[in-house]
Amino acid sequence: MTSQPSASRGWRLPRHEMALLAALVLVFVGTGWLDPNHTYFAKWAESRDIILRNTSLLGIIALGAAVVIIAGGIDLSAGSMVAFSGTTCGLLLTLFADAGDKRLESVGAVGIAAAIGGAMLSGLLVGTLHTWLITAIRLPPFVATLATLVGLRSFARAMCLFVTRERWGSENQQINIGTPFFVWLKEHNVWISTATFLGLAFLTWLILSRTVLGRHLYALGGNEQAARLSGIRTENVKWFAYCFGSLTAAIAGIFLMADSSVAQPGNAARGYELNAIAAAVVGGCSLQGGVGTVTGTVLGSLFLRVVIDAVSKLIKASADVYEGMIVGIIVALAVTLTQFGGLSRTGRALFAGARGLAAIPTIAIFAGLLAMMGAANVDAFRGRTGLLGAAVGAAVLLLLAAFRRLQERPVR
Amino acid sequence: MTPIVDFRGVGKRFQGVVALADVTFQLLAGECHAICGENGAGKSTLMKILSGVITEHEGEIRVRGEPCRFQGTRDAESAGIAIIHQELNLVEQLSAAANIFLGRELRTPLGLLDDAAMEREAAGLLAALDCQLDPRLPAGSLRVGDQQLLEIAKALSLQSDVLIMDEPTSALTEAEVARLYRVIARLRERGVTILYISHKMDEVFRLADRITVLRDGRHVRTAERSATTPKEITGWMVGREIAGQEFHQARPRSRRLLEVRGLTLPWPDHPRGYRLKEIDLDLNAGEVLGIAGLMGAGRTELLEVLFGAAGTGWTGEIRLEGEPVRFAHPSEACAARIAMVTEDRKRLGLFPDLDVAGNVGIASLGRAASGGLVSRSREEALVSPVIRETGVKAAGPQASIMGLSGGNQQKCIIARWLLTEPRLLLLDDPTRGIDVGAKAELYALIDRLCRGGMGVILTSSELPELLTLADRILVLAEGKLTAEFSRGEATEAAIMEAAMAC
Repeated sequence: MTSQPSASRGWRLPRHEMALLAALVLVFVGTGWLDPNHTYFAKWAESRDIILRNTSLLGIIALGAAVVIIAGGIDLSAGSMVAFSGTTCGLLLTLFADAGDKRLESVGAVGIAAAIGGAMLSGLLVGTLHTWLITAIRLPPFVATLATLVGLRSFARAMCLFVTRERWGSENQQINIGTPFFVWLKEHNVWISTATFLGLAFLTWLILSRTVLGRHLYALGGNEQAARLSGIRTENVKWFAYCFGSLTAAIAGIFLMADSSVAQPGNAARGYELNAIAAAVVGGCSLQGGVGTVTGTVLGSLFLRVVIDAVSKLIKASADVYEGMIVGIIVALAVTLTQFGGLSRTGRALFAGARGLAAIPTIAIFAGLLAMMGAANVDAFRGRTGLLGAAVGAAVLLLLAAFRRLQERPVR
Repeated sequence: MTPIVDFRGVGKRFQGVVALADVTFQLLAGECHAICGENGAGKSTLMKILSGVITEHEGEIRVRGEPCRFQGTRDAESAGIAIIHQELNLVEQLSAAANIFLGRELRTPLGLLDDAAMEREAAGLLAALDCQLDPRLPAGSLRVGDQQLLEIAKALSLQSDVLIMDEPTSALTEAEVARLYRVIARLRERGVTILYISHKMDEVFRLADRITVLRDGRHVRTAERSATTPKEITGWMVGREIAGQEFHQARPRSRRLLEVRGLTLPWPDHPRGYRLKEIDLDLNAGEVLGIAGLMGAGRTELLEVLFGAAGTGWTGEIRLEGEPVRFAHPSEACAARIAMVTEDRKRLGLFPDLDVAGNVGIASLGRAASGGLVSRSREEALVSPVIRETGVKAAGPQASIMGLSGGNQQKCIIARWLLTEPRLLLLDDPTRGIDVGAKAELYALIDRLCRGGMGVILTSSELPELLTLADRILVLAEGKLTAEFSRGEATEAAIMEAAMAC
């Protein structure tokens, strides 16, 4: 799966992917060296499994997000779609289980196939709904998928209450999954979800770079009007893109349900859509559309998960607190770096005027607070965290002020 | 009268292409001065320079005797120069009063917005223009004529004494035009100098004291209205030599390819009510049909209807080789072997993220696929012959499309359509923005295609181009056919007259 050559600007994307690879290696080496418990060496298999499982869950959704983004759209509903698909799967299992079997252990092969098929079908339904809202009602994709982001989760919860009441006579907020197949899937989750992820990645790559449809996706995202005037049925291309986006989320939903042994419409996969979009963007997809690769998206997903994992190893506090912050910083950095050539060439002042002056202490305050909270997890700094935070904040303040001075000097 | 604005040798180049060269004339205080010229004559460029939209230019502009270098529209405004653009410049969601005071809002002593004062002043300004509208209404809810008066009121509130009006009547009803004339008369009573851009002779001769004609970016002449005639002005506008070869001789003429009868395309929410009205045309295979007309005359819309890109809201009949057709989507027109090269290359034609082969192959990629998969080598093999045939100069099929010159980009787009093997080729102003050498190559290519039996419909904003290539020329004016010329009858002056006949 080398870089995707024909539909890209040639040199830019391979370079982007090389940079991601280098950054990945850097994070691995850095974590292996700094981690006081040397988890990478001491618990090699466990570290590997955690990273693989999380990466494939994120990556499967990110592939769908990438296709939608390349086609010039956006799908904000992926997280709710994951929950919706898991719930659909769980509810179908309850229908195929014996009447009193609340652990769902009695479901046979037909029931399992129907549950998985139904969950995937739910993805196609939602994708079709998105396409209709966008092409017929002419809602902007942001609005259409925002509506389903909010609506689908609530719909899944209502469905869960309704089916459990009808089936068992008592309303359940969630469904525990004890079906042997899904228990087996949970046990072998790492390898099956990784294989699914890689298989899907290969399929996506094939579609994007080796089929007419793929080329039309790039064309649609690059210039929708020109695509239509080239005789491309742009509505149908969108239909594929949104269905693919929802289908990948639906597949992730089945894995998440198996992995957590529960179909839980209320809280499952909250915020996953933004991580998936972030992974695609880190991987080089442009939110303007028309640009992006599968290789980049796969590397972007891996990079995000590896950094989150590294931080959880370095900071013993609960890592999920820091997850959003890490994703935010990486996205901002990745996009800044891809624009860096333009930035340095035009010599745009980063801290010009009153706005720039206000930005310097803002960044310093955030950096200082972050350093303080981070230091609290390191034994060596115990009792001196406040001092450290202040020092880091002051250092950032001085550095940026010096940078501003430097940029203000007239060029030439 | 003293000159209020003095253009001295003003020129402007866009990436080496001369848009305006050595323009010298004066604007006298209090006069109404009309600027006439064909599309692309440099009228808009000159106005953009005067109003500070374009900041880099050659030569010098003096306002009230002072040399000026505007660094933006604000500078021009503070020098008392305001422009009413053809495309109005209003924030539709804000009220009329808020639009008039946008960027310099009146405030109460507490620093809050003083809406009452702004509305009061706006009402006063509008009343002075004989316009009874509520300044609290959102600008977007107003009719185009009222929106225009709103822009004029804004200019007055800026104490402007030079007002540029860029084809102000193009979207107005007759009643609104009459009101605009009254407003212009009032403005002149107040001593406002008006620079009026138009190519409608009746307006120009009704309003202007003096008339300046531009052609190909150069100043042709400035004349007193009383000392000239519309015919003379039209002659100055087009009076250039017809250059280059003529291709139309002895092309084999064969079967009837296209018949259009009574084609009408409605235009809701517009005072005219239609974009095209009752158009009839015929085209034979192996023939080039030229469509002449000013901007907004309906040339592009006509081609879009034929290509299925204008929806199915039109009435009338289109027959392709005798078969009635009604395309709802360009893909249906492609399947019927019709191709269209769009007018605005960048916006409607190019895929900036695809390379040359991707751009050329996009409309016929299915032919490079086997078993559903596209192979890069088959794709290159598919596009290479047609890239050679059209004479695209590029480093190779992998070259970036955005790195090519305008002429080569256009050849790529024509190559895209030749790959689909069309029987009818629609070319919408195909030589816009490309250099002379590439133009000559395109002319030769079009001639060759025609001799091969293709039917071509060609629009152009350059009359010599139509005279060079077309076997017959139809003239559109405001959506209606006003004349048809066979090759022998057509002259630039006659076409120009028909294009302005409305």
